[in-house]
Amino acid sequence: MVQLNLPQNSKIEVGKYYKDKTNSKNLKKVNVYRWDPSTKQNPRVDTFEVDMDNCGPKVLDILFKIKNEIDPSLTFRRSCAHGVCGSCAMNIDGVNTLACIKSHTDIHGDLNVYPLPHLKVVKDLIGDLTTLYKQYESIKPWLQTEQTGKEKEEIKQSQKDREKLDGYYECILCACCSTSCPSYWWNGDKYLGPAVLLQAYRWINDSRDGDKEERLKKVADELKLYRCHTIMNCTNSCPKGLNPAKAIGSIKKMLATS
Amino acid sequence: MEEKNNPLSPHLQIYRWQISSLLSITHRIVGVVNILAITIICFWSLSLLLGAESYLIINNFLQSFFGKFVAVGLCWTFSFHILNELRHLFWDLGYGFDLKISKITGVLALLGSFVFTILFYLIGKNIF
Repeated sequence: MVQLNLPQNSKIEVGKYYKDKTNSKNLKKVNVYRWDPSTKQNPRVDTFEVDMDNCGPKVLDILFKIKNEIDPSLTFRRSCAHGVCGSCAMNIDGVNTLACIKSHTDIHGDLNVYPLPHLKVVKDLIGDLTTLYKQYESIKPWLQTEQTGKEKEEIKQSQKDREKLDGYYECILCACCSTSCPSYWWNGDKYLGPAVLLQAYRWINDSRDGDKEERLKKVADELKLYRCHTIMNCTNSCPKGLNPAKAIGSIKKMLATS
Repeated sequence: MEEKNNPLSPHLQIYRWQISSLLSITHRIVGVVNILAITIICFWSLSLLLGAESYLIINNFLQSFFGKFVAVGLCWTFSFHILNELRHLFWDLGYGFDLKISKITGVLALLGSFVFTILFYLIGKNIF
């Protein structure tokens, strides 16, 4: 269902203001979404004044600086810090991206950091991605082969067939694309969303997979697939530069021509 | 998640508009406007059958400032919808998904819709 406004318990309130204590002249105001499950309060946006003379170049560096030096209760996911794991996906300056590869020098004025949009918030910048993972499981993201008795032999793939997976196998499932998609916001329980559909296409397109027809049939659904209206927020947000909109378009085309 | 009281993270409120998303929602709104417009145009043309009196009413309306605004506005909504629908047609054929290309075609569709509107207006004014 389309609900444009936030529910009552999600309305954002003005939070605390942490003034700079280092007397730095190079300050940046960082607005961060906060919600603490142990209190019964609404979410709020805290503002931190951060000394940029002693801070790394990335948004993740800022978050770490806040956590280490100003407010240790700030909670966010992160792991590799090199744009490989996809843990620190969040909404930075209005667009979903990875905090570890987004340079704060690109952002003029105040820096706004929110969790990925339209998710149940677990704490602060952490959104609940359970639904997305379930949908990912539903497309069976593993190789399907017929039982031939030769399972121990390797399945070979030509270089040309392998190249067909370029632009799709690189997906790290950070969920930036799916949570940027208005269609996924309104129909996230039924529509698979760009991330999962890109993965579906990756398996449909794999020459070694023996279940192409079945995979296509399963995804050919008014709600699962055709809620994509080519809004292209997904491609605009992908931190790895992939094109989920094109993957979905390719599935639609395959279905129309098969 | 066990707890039902968890808030929903903000979405429309904070997400930055992209050219692509802006054109997409405009395409939808314009589509609805066009359906209404076609219906009204049908009623208007039917009412012309009733003779000079109803012709006068419609003529008076279209001569007023608001009437002109509606007429020119509809020229734009139709132009935009047709041009943007062309983009969808090419997407369905598998072309134009590249981020740069889709941005360029989007801007072209928007600019083109204004050019078409001006052309319609000039043709309507019998300038050519």
